[in-house]
Amino acid sequence: MGAAVTYTESELVLGLKARNEKHFGYLYDHYSPALYGIALKVVNDESIAGDVLQEIFLKIWRSIERYDSDKGRLFTWMVNIARNTAIDTLRSKAHKMGQKATELGSNGLASDQLAIHPSVDHLGLVKVVEQLSKEQRVIIDLAYYKGCTQEEIAKILDIPLGTVKTRMRNAIIQLRNILKQM
Amino acid sequence: MDASRFISSGLIEAYVSGLATSNEVQELERGMKQYPEVAAAVDDCQLDMEQYVTLQSKTPPSDLKQRIFHIIVNEEAAREAGTFSEEQVTDEFPETKTYVSSAWRWIAAAAIILLLGSLWMNYVFFGQVNDYKGRYEALTVTQNTLASESNLYKARIEQMEQSFDLMKNPSMKAVKMPGTKPFPTALATVYWNQQSKEVFVMVNNLPEPAADKQYQLWAIVDGKPVDMGVFEMSNPHELLQKMKSIDNAEMFAITLEKKGGSPVPTLDQMYVAGKAS
Repeated sequence: MGAAVTYTESELVLGLKARNEKHFGYLYDHYSPALYGIALKVVNDESIAGDVLQEIFLKIWRSIERYDSDKGRLFTWMVNIARNTAIDTLRSKAHKMGQKATELGSNGLASDQLAIHPSVDHLGLVKVVEQLSKEQRVIIDLAYYKGCTQEEIAKILDIPLGTVKTRMRNAIIQLRNILKQM
Repeated sequence: MDASRFISSGLIEAYVSGLATSNEVQELERGMKQYPEVAAAVDDCQLDMEQYVTLQSKTPPSDLKQRIFHIIVNEEAAREAGTFSEEQVTDEFPETKTYVSSAWRWIAAAAIILLLGSLWMNYVFFGQVNDYKGRYEALTVTQNTLASESNLYKARIEQMEQSFDLMKNPSMKAVKMPGTKPFPTALATVYWNQQSKEVFVMVNNLPEPAADKQYQLWAIVDGKPVDMGVFEMSNPHELLQKMKSIDNAEMFAITLEKKGGSPVPTLDQMYVAGKAS
């Protein structure tokens, strides 16, 4: 692999729009771990996460013409595709098996789902998890990785609907403070 | 909302975490266009979130890259050959998906059912209103007919009252005129006011004349017939019909003449006659 080659984001976007497979290879090498991490967090199943990651990269390849750098960074765009694809899979899978309610409904399962995978690549994550309260971690992950609405979060965490946004704000402020110290 | 309100509202955190509703997303996107500091705050928050995401990176299975490349190489070949059809369309800039809760779906369904029910009731009530309108119009017509009939009877009664008033007058003299030999059942009466000299005729029984004929009243004065005028049979409600006045007369008689009357009586057409004194 051409490890010595590096592209700026605009070079990468230009190459991708020109359907250059070398640029796509570079994109995969650099971003697949982050996007796979998302897929795994959402669906919580390695074989499903692999299929989801394949779908994510095919969507990126097929719709790169429509990426507009004025609207946001390439990584933000890819993360959104990854989250939407994975959450759609989770929702349709949960729907098919009728398991969404139990999966998200009981605290035991929710914490099990949101448990940190044993083979964590980053030590930084351990630090974040240590300093963030369980409740703060759960509320961020339910919204960000499970695509839960305010109503669903209020139900799962058994808190008033009106306090969901405030708790989210506090959780994210705490998360950002921890990240700044790293 | 000004820039600082946006930043402290929690909207940015809701947006970045995917929690914001589509209305909230629109509101914040307007704010980002209006205030550069809001756009910068969103960007900062997003960067931190992406750092959190990156912390959770995991190397995917090694065979996956080959699988994906195999698919896209085939797709590119098909695209160049013109046989590729783009079956998967992705959102241009994937936005936070909002899932409609099932409660709202039920409420929407209920609202549609209520609307349909309301439309049906409109139809039914409109039909009923039309029905009542028709009945009301029929009643109005009946009421108008009754009112005009009532006016007619009132007029007739007034006419009869006038006739009775005339007859009740003590100066009124009644001259009974029995039928002549050719018309034995005929009968008429002359009412003659001895003071005012007014003469009225009342038809007791006379046959209906032909269309071109009219009855004519005569007074016999000094053995000679004097024309007292013709009268109509078509108004039977007017009991007494006013004729010409006369000072004195020996007899009264009625003949059938051509319409409008004649200067001398046709004697063989004399129906009734009666002595005045």
